[in-house]
Formats: sequence, structure tokens, C-alpha cells
Amino acid sequence: MKNKLILFWIIIAITLASIFVLYKKPTSLGLDLVGGSRLMLEAQTSEAVPNITPEIMDSLQYAIENRVNAMGVGETLVQKIGQKRLLIEIPNITDTAKAKEFIGQTAQLEFKRPKPGKDGEMDWESTGLTGNDLKKSIVGSNPTTGEWVVELEFNLEGAKKFSELTKELTGKQMAIFFNGKLQSAPNVNEQISGGKAQISGGGKQGFEFAEAKEMVDLLNAGALPVGAEVIQEESVGPTLGQDSINKSKIAGLVGITAVMVFMIAYYRVLGIISCFALIIYALINFAIYKLVPVTLTLTGIAGFILSIGMAIDANILIFERTKEELKAGRTLFTAINSGFDRAFTSIFDSNMSTIITCLILYHFGASMVKGFALTLIIGVCLSMFSAITVTKNFMHLTFGSKEMKYPGMFGLRKEDIENAYVAEETKREKAKFGVLD
Amino acid sequence: MANTLIKNKYKIDLVKYKYVWLGVTAVVMTICLSAMIYLMSIQPNHAPLKLGIDFTGGTILQYGVDKKISTDEISSIRTSLEKVGIKNPVIQTTTQMANGEDSEVKNLLSIRTTFLGDKESKDKTSEITNQLKTSFPTIELVQVNSVGPTLGAELLKNTMTALIIAFILMMIYISFRFQPEYGWIAFVTLLHDAIVVMGIFALKGIFFDTTVDSLFITAILTVIGYSINDTIVVFDRIRENMRFLAKKFSSNEIINASINQTIVRSINTSATTLFTLLALYFFGGVTIKDFVLAIIIGVVAGTYSSIFVAGVILAIVKEKMEKRAKEV
Repeated sequence: MKNKLILFWIIIAITLASIFVLYKKPTSLGLDLVGGSRLMLEAQTSEAVPNITPEIMDSLQYAIENRVNAMGVGETLVQKIGQKRLLIEIPNITDTAKAKEFIGQTAQLEFKRPKPGKDGEMDWESTGLTGNDLKKSIVGSNPTTGEWVVELEFNLEGAKKFSELTKELTGKQMAIFFNGKLQSAPNVNEQISGGKAQISGGGKQGFEFAEAKEMVDLLNAGALPVGAEVIQEESVGPTLGQDSINKSKIAGLVGITAVMVFMIAYYRVLGIISCFALIIYALINFAIYKLVPVTLTLTGIAGFILSIGMAIDANILIFERTKEELKAGRTLFTAINSGFDRAFTSIFDSNMSTIITCLILYHFGASMVKGFALTLIIGVCLSMFSAITVTKNFMHLTFGSKEMKYPGMFGLRKEDIENAYVAEETKREKAKFGVLD
Repeated sequence: MANTLIKNKYKIDLVKYKYVWLGVTAVVMTICLSAMIYLMSIQPNHAPLKLGIDFTGGTILQYGVDKKISTDEISSIRTSLEKVGIKNPVIQTTTQMANGEDSEVKNLLSIRTTFLGDKESKDKTSEITNQLKTSFPTIELVQVNSVGPTLGAELLKNTMTALIIAFILMMIYISFRFQPEYGWIAFVTLLHDAIVVMGIFALKGIFFDTTVDSLFITAILTVIGYSINDTIVVFDRIRENMRFLAKKFSSNEIINASINQTIVRSINTSATTLFTLLALYFFGGVTIKDFVLAIIIGVVAGTYSSIFVAGVILAIVKEKMEKRAKEV
């Protein structure tokens, strides 16, 4: 009995911790609930680039991340999917035409020459040399100083233009603009005709490696000859998202209430115990969502609500078995224990099969499906804990090892107990593992 | 020790009427399969269900409208869309439930077209919205779903692979935990459940033009994962009773008794799950209604099949095995 009291307080402590987490941590909501767009881009191969290499994908991702971030719409996500796809999530954007236009733009890399401005300030003018003239760019190092540099390689036409430009600008600054922003303005030391150039960093120490890499990514993105096409798009307006949240809340409450009313009506005191177990289950479940964190989507919420229905299933199996044991004339304490042991094989096998299908769903599914699979897996695993530990503990604490005085508490009638069917004792070890003789 | 397994009368006498139950199952299967075969014969892609944009590629635009849209208005929308170069748009409206009064989105107008996402048709979305705004000034674009044709084919392949793997793994798991014959009977039971769900959606496709998307396959997988639970509960009890009573009673008696012992929990577990699902269907988000409906159908089919398909087939198989054992 002492152990059971300790376990009880542990359960209470976990529950209180969960409530604490629920208050402290924000829920991360999916795009279909807050509103926003999810775009899937696919890098397109062309004659110039027949293969999409990981480097190209890195540059593409970087370029797109830059652009998405530049939109300034809060938490965005750009993620590589497979070998040539990018998933982009932008919250709060309903008008995808705008977003697609912004993302679909080819990055503008421009080389500019200095031009005296109006108020004596330095100004820049276009030279006609752009990212289109660039073949590729890599991070290199200066053999004499050891500094990190950015190496540019122009295509044929670009090399010609660059040669002419550097001749013209020898001793002056040349500016590299990206998307209208000044990236760097290196000094031109001499005419360069080999179609190759180096950009050494500004400042005294030159480039940090990350700095050089960033620039290379930018330049490659600008010069990237692969286009990216939108192959999938999901956008949900904020009104529909809010509507979905409200409706899911109502559906969840109605569902839980219906389950509880049914359980109490059918299983009486046992039903009340299962209701407490269910509330604890729901609290811990939501706390886990926040800790992992699970991004809640509409299907994810459906998974959660479905898992409530499934969590109570384990309780039903246990209660039915306990009632059977009681009918067979066993004492309350034995009935509860063997009710658990004998129901356990069914609960274990059925939950395992649900977990197997959820894992398959998680592996093959699209993002919408993954959310559902994840919440269902968490729910099923947790329901094992809640049924085996919480319900059992509450049952022992409620009934102790006393005689059963009121069969009505279990939804049983007195005469049921005499009408016992013949049941032989299952050995606990065997029942637990479901081993066949 | 009593002479019979259950003193009370059987709630259902499964074994006595086994051919009746098999007949009922056969009729349901025939209806479902015919609907699917019918769709296979009339559809150009020979799919047994009407495939949605997830699998065929295409774009669905959903608009929130504050009033009900009449059929006349739908046809005028169609003409105006065809004017801007949208070929054969599929236009549907969904009316919200009664609790939609305080929610902002009351009616949904959904327009399904070919894929609008590539460069040529980039501005088509805004064109459609503008067209609609002329007749419904308060209309609001609430959801866009767009899938390119190559991705669609890929999704279809992936989800079909997932389905097949799920079936095989379930069969292996049950064979491993029980006995081989339980494994393939569970497989047949799951197939039954999947066919019922698909058959009803094939019928919905024929009469209401309902299409299935990747969420539908998710629903079927969920149904497989869930309805096997009922079958396991039944099998678990039969296995337990067989272990201790096989010498005294025939397999038919044991199976009958086991089904009667477990029927209350089969119904109760499904009932509680159905409560939550029905709540989701009637009060939950509009966009997942068909998904929830598919799971509801599957849970009902799963409860039926765990008793009237799995139980009946097991009774027939075990009886044959017993006969063979006696002959030897």
C-alpha cells in the first residue's frame, strides 16, 4: 500500500509538471491553423546543368532562405526534401501570388562602377556585367597571405566584359551588388583577362571562412542556371485557420465529454476513475506536444482526439476483464490484478499494431500526414502508461483490498456473480507475454 | 465445473448462422467492389476511386462566402471562369453546420482546375479571384491546394507502397504473436475493412463526385491500425480459451463463447472511439470531414469484421483442422 501511495504522488507530480509546462510554453501551430503558405519547389535541370548536385541545392536553399527572410513575415522555414526539392513555409501570407513572385525571381548580381553622386557622395552605376555572366564561384585562399577569398569564374562573354571593366577601373573600386544591396567593393589592382577573379575581404583580416562561404553561396545562387518551379502549394487563410482552431476545440470538448458520460454511465466508479486517468492523459499528452515540440496541425489535432478514444479502449478492456473476474467470484484485489494482467496482451498487441501503421505513415507521408502519425504515436504510447500505471494505481487506492460490498459500483448486479462462467486461472507470466503452450 | 461455457443464452450465435453472416459480408463486398469496378471501367485512368489533385495533379481554390450559392450562380461562375481560360473547372459548395453561425467562414466554394503553379499559369489564381469578386464582392480566398502532375504520380506510388507494407506487416505481426492461420485471417479481415471504406467512397465518387486525396489513404492506414485492435481482442480471447478448454469443447463452442465474452468490449471500445470521431465530424474543421468520415466507416466495418469475418472464418478453418486431426 505504501508503494501505491508513492506512485500516486509521482503521478500527481507529473501531472502538475505538465500543467506547469502547459502554462509556460507556447503551442506551435501549423500553417493550416494560423494561416500561411507552404510551397514545394523543384530545381529544374537544363542543358547547362543536367544534374542537380548537393552544392546546387545548398546554394538554392540559401538563396531562397535569403529571399524568404527578406519578406519579413516572421518564422519561415526552408527545408530540403529529397534530392531536388525545397519546402518553404511562410506564415501569415495568404496571397501566394506575391510570395511566388518573390521566390521565383532570379537573384540579381550586378557589378557596378563608381560614379560621383549629387552631393559629392559615392554612387554606383551599372556596367552590364551581372550574375548571368558568372560560371561559378568557390571559396579559395590566397597562397601568399593565407586569407580566405572568393574565387569567381566567368563564362566566355563574362570574361570578356570583366577584362574590359577591370582595365577601365584599374586603381578604382568596383562594387558587387546583390538584390540591390552592396555586398562588397573590392579594389581593382590590375586588368584581369583570364576570366577568373578573386575577391579578397574588406577590413584588415580579410574574410572569415563563413563570410566567404556566404558570399559564394550568394554568388552561386545569383549565377545559378537552374530554375525552380512550384510543384505543390498549400495556402490557408487566417480566417479558415482560426475557424479550424475554434472548431477543433469544440470537437475535442464534445468528444471527451461524450466519452466520459458513457464511461461513468456504463462502468460507474470504474468509469469515474478512467475519467481522471483520461484528464491526466490529456494534460501529459499536451505537455509532451509542447516539449518535443510537435507543431499542431488540423490533422494532428484529429490524431490527438482519435487517440483519446483509443486511450479509453485500454481502460474498457481492463474493466471488462475485471468485471469477468469478479463474476467468477474472485476477491476484489485479485480481480483487479488479474484484470490487468489478462487484458495486457490484448492492449499490447493492439497498440503495437497501431504503432506499426503510424511508423509507416510517418515514413511515407507528406507533412500533413506526418503530423497525424506523430500525435497518434505519442498518444498510443502514453495511453499504455496511463492505462497500466494511472488507472491501476487509482483502482488499488480506491478499492484497496476490501471485500466488494456494492457490485453496483462496477455496474454489476448481485445475481451476475452467481452466474459466473468457468474460467481457469491464467498464469501471470504466460498471460503477460501471450506465449502459447 | 459447468457443462457449457456460458450458462446465459448466447447474445449472438455466430457459428450456427455462420453462412448467413458470410452471405451478408458477401453482399456488402459485392456492392463495394462493383462500385469500384464501375469507376475503373468509366475512368480514363482506370482508378477504382475518383482521384483528387494529390494524385492527378491540379489546383483547388477554396473561397469563403457569406451566403449560400445557388446552382444558377454556380453555372454562371463556370461560364465566367471558362472565359478567362480555365478549362472544365469543377465547382462545389460546402455548407457549414449549424454551429457555423458564429464562425466567419459559412459556406465554402471550391474550384478544382488543372495545375496552376507553373510559370505559364502563374497569374491565373488572381484572375479567378477577380472574376469571382465581380459577382461576390465579399468573397475571400481561404485555401489553396496545388499539386504538380509529377509529384501527384509520386504521391500515389508512395501511398500505395505504404498501404501494401502496412498490410504485410500486420499479417506478419499477427502470425508471429498468434499462429499463421490467425495471420492470414487478420489480413482478410483488414482487406474487408479497406474495401468497405474504398467502396463507400467509390459510391460517393459516383453520386457526389467525391475525390480521394492522400489524407484518404492515411484514413485507410489508420483504420487498418485501429480495426486490427478489435480483431486482436477477439483472437486473444479465443487463443486463451483454446489453451485451457480445447480438450473439453469443440472449436466451434469455444469460438462462439469467446465472441460472446468479448462482444461488449468490442462494441464499447468502438463506441468511445466513434464518439470522438463523430464529434470531429460534426463539430470539427471542414477540411478534414471526409478524412474523419473514412475513419468512421472503417471503425464500424472493423468492429463488424472482427466478429463476423474473422470469427466466422476462424470457426470454419478450425473446424476443418479438427476434422483433419480426427481422420489422421
